Amino acid sequence: MSLNDPQWGKNRGGRGNGGGPPDLDELWRNLNQRLNSLFGRRGGGGATPPSGARQLGGLGLAIGLILVVWLGSGLFIVDESQRGVVLTFGKYARTVGPGLNYRWPYPFQSHEIVSLTQVRTVEVGYRNNVKTKVPREALMLTDDENIVDIQFAVQYILKSPEDYLFNNRDPKDTVMQAAETAFREIVGKSKMDFVLYEGRAQVEASSEKLMQEILDRYKTGISISQVTMQNAQPPEQVQAAFDDAVKAKQDLERQKNEGQAYYNDVVPKAKGAAARLTEEASGYRQRVVANAEGEASRFRQILVEYNKAPAVTRERMYLDTVQQIMASTSKVLVDARAGGNLLFLPLDKIMQMTGAAVATPEGGAARSAPEVAPPVSEAGPRSRDSLRSREREGRP
Amino acid sequence: MKPIVGLTIALAVMVLLLASLSAFTVDQRENAIVFQLGEIKRVVTEPGLHFKWPLIQNVRRYDMRILTLDTPDTERVITSEKKNVLVDSFVKWRIADVKQYYKSVGGDEVQALQRLRQTVKSALLEEFGKRTVHDVVSGEREKLMDAVRTKVDEDAKKIGVDIVDVRVKRVELPQEVSESVYRRMAAERSAVASELRSQGYSESEKIRAEADREREVIIAEAYKQAQRVKGEGDAKASAIYARAFSENPEFYSFYRSLEAYRASFHNKSDVLIVEPTSDFFRYLKSPTGARTGH
Repeated sequence: MSLNDPQWGKNRGGRGNGGGPPDLDELWRNLNQRLNSLFGRRGGGGATPPSGARQLGGLGLAIGLILVVWLGSGLFIVDESQRGVVLTFGKYARTVGPGLNYRWPYPFQSHEIVSLTQVRTVEVGYRNNVKTKVPREALMLTDDENIVDIQFAVQYILKSPEDYLFNNRDPKDTVMQAAETAFREIVGKSKMDFVLYEGRAQVEASSEKLMQEILDRYKTGISISQVTMQNAQPPEQVQAAFDDAVKAKQDLERQKNEGQAYYNDVVPKAKGAAARLTEEASGYRQRVVANAEGEASRFRQILVEYNKAPAVTRERMYLDTVQQIMASTSKVLVDARAGGNLLFLPLDKIMQMTGAAVATPEGGAARSAPEVAPPVSEAGPRSRDSLRSREREGRP
Repeated sequence: MKPIVGLTIALAVMVLLLASLSAFTVDQRENAIVFQLGEIKRVVTEPGLHFKWPLIQNVRRYDMRILTLDTPDTERVITSEKKNVLVDSFVKWRIADVKQYYKSVGGDEVQALQRLRQTVKSALLEEFGKRTVHDVVSGEREKLMDAVRTKVDEDAKKIGVDIVDVRVKRVELPQEVSESVYRRMAAERSAVASELRSQGYSESEKIRAEADREREVIIAEAYKQAQRVKGEGDAKASAIYARAFSENPEFYSFYRSLEAYRASFHNKSDVLIVEPTSDFFRYLKSPTGARTGH
């Protein structure tokens, strides 16, 4: 029977002869005929051979269709990150890779798909966020009988889909259990400071190793790819004391730095002062030597001239000097021999007088004595002047 | 032709029915026991397709994978130093002998778990009682777990169960003990903190003292150097003076004396009382300058 057969469409459509409205009697008869053709003639009824053959053909097609669908149910798709495991009557047959795969349909074969390379994570001590802690899992005893609060995550992939499927009832829970027991064992063997500060990487590494050993012992087919400590700190109850200790450490650094700052301030300054001392000394040496050389040279030159006319030069020098002295000092000429012992000199008066005489020309005549600046101060510049002039004169 | 078709179909249905009654599969993960009217006939350990007599024989399957006994609550045990600790452990077990398993616990997992739980608890109590807290936490953890495992395994054999592993997860101190641990930890930290602080003070002082010392040394060294240099200068100057002045010592003393006089008398307040008989005034008395003194 082909699709071109005019009867086919009518039978399929369930419509009566002549395209009239559906007749229930007709339908019932049709059904009876089909049943009859299925079970021979036992059901009775007057089905004619040609119609029986048609029914048989329809049935064959239906069976064919079912067969196709049934066979088609053996097709399945495996993703790149997955592996398919095929079982024959429940017995492991083979593992298939990514792509379109085929197995015999039910009940002969079945398949299971597992994610192989997809990284899965188990969180211990927290859920989703490090802040949502699970204290039961997070608090651990250390070797020195302290308690630490640790959150860590374990990432794993599958290395063997068959082992993963067949050896453990709940491999995911097993990862969690192995993670907890292994991590606690490692922490239990370590000192608190080691766990919290310097040994974090080591704790991670050795717990990862131990977890893998345990999982391998159970043949879970799981491979731990990473153990990461999310957070490791002392419990909340002692947090303040720990923070203070950390602060103390910083205080130590600060104090050290302050000391260093003092050092850096003082030593260069001292070096500067030292440089000043030595420089000054070297300046002094040069000055003294230069002075000496200068004076020596001056003396030598005078000496040369002196040697040419010793008497005259000597006389001149003597007179020059006495003149200078006489000119710049107060003097009293006394014929001691004539005056004898009766001579009375009011030296203090003379001193005062000379002082006033010096002051008057500068201070003005109208001024009274108290307003006049003291002679001592006036004597300063004058004496300097005279010094200078003397030196000028002294030079040959 | 029609009766033949009908007969074939009927036969096929019959065969299928019979097959579904007599054939059974055993999964890779399972073992099966075939019972014949309640009596264990055989144990099927090989996965795949198997057959039995229909109607009079039936099959029960048992999961042969590794199972877990993980109690959610912790056990309170006492260590050798009479301290209470809370222990959380898990047991990995599997059915080793299905027949034995069925005979002793009726193949009922709940019953098996209960039995195991009791055994584990008593083993844990015993093993913890032999050890100190420190031992169970760190030193002898593995040994303890091994001992418990051996003990539980011995008992589990009787119910056809194999203990793969017994592992201690948590060993916790009871709340009140934890509090005292926290107090101790806090005290330890503050000891460390104050040590650090005074250490900081001492190091700072050390550095400061060193700075002061270095300053003193540097200044002193420089002073020494400076004095040496000055001395050099003085010595050199003296040598120069000596060399120059020794050319005519008599003239030098004359020259130097005059200089000294000038330096001494240069002020109006210096009063000189002079005798007219002095040499300086000899022309003041007579134009010939005849000496009067001698």
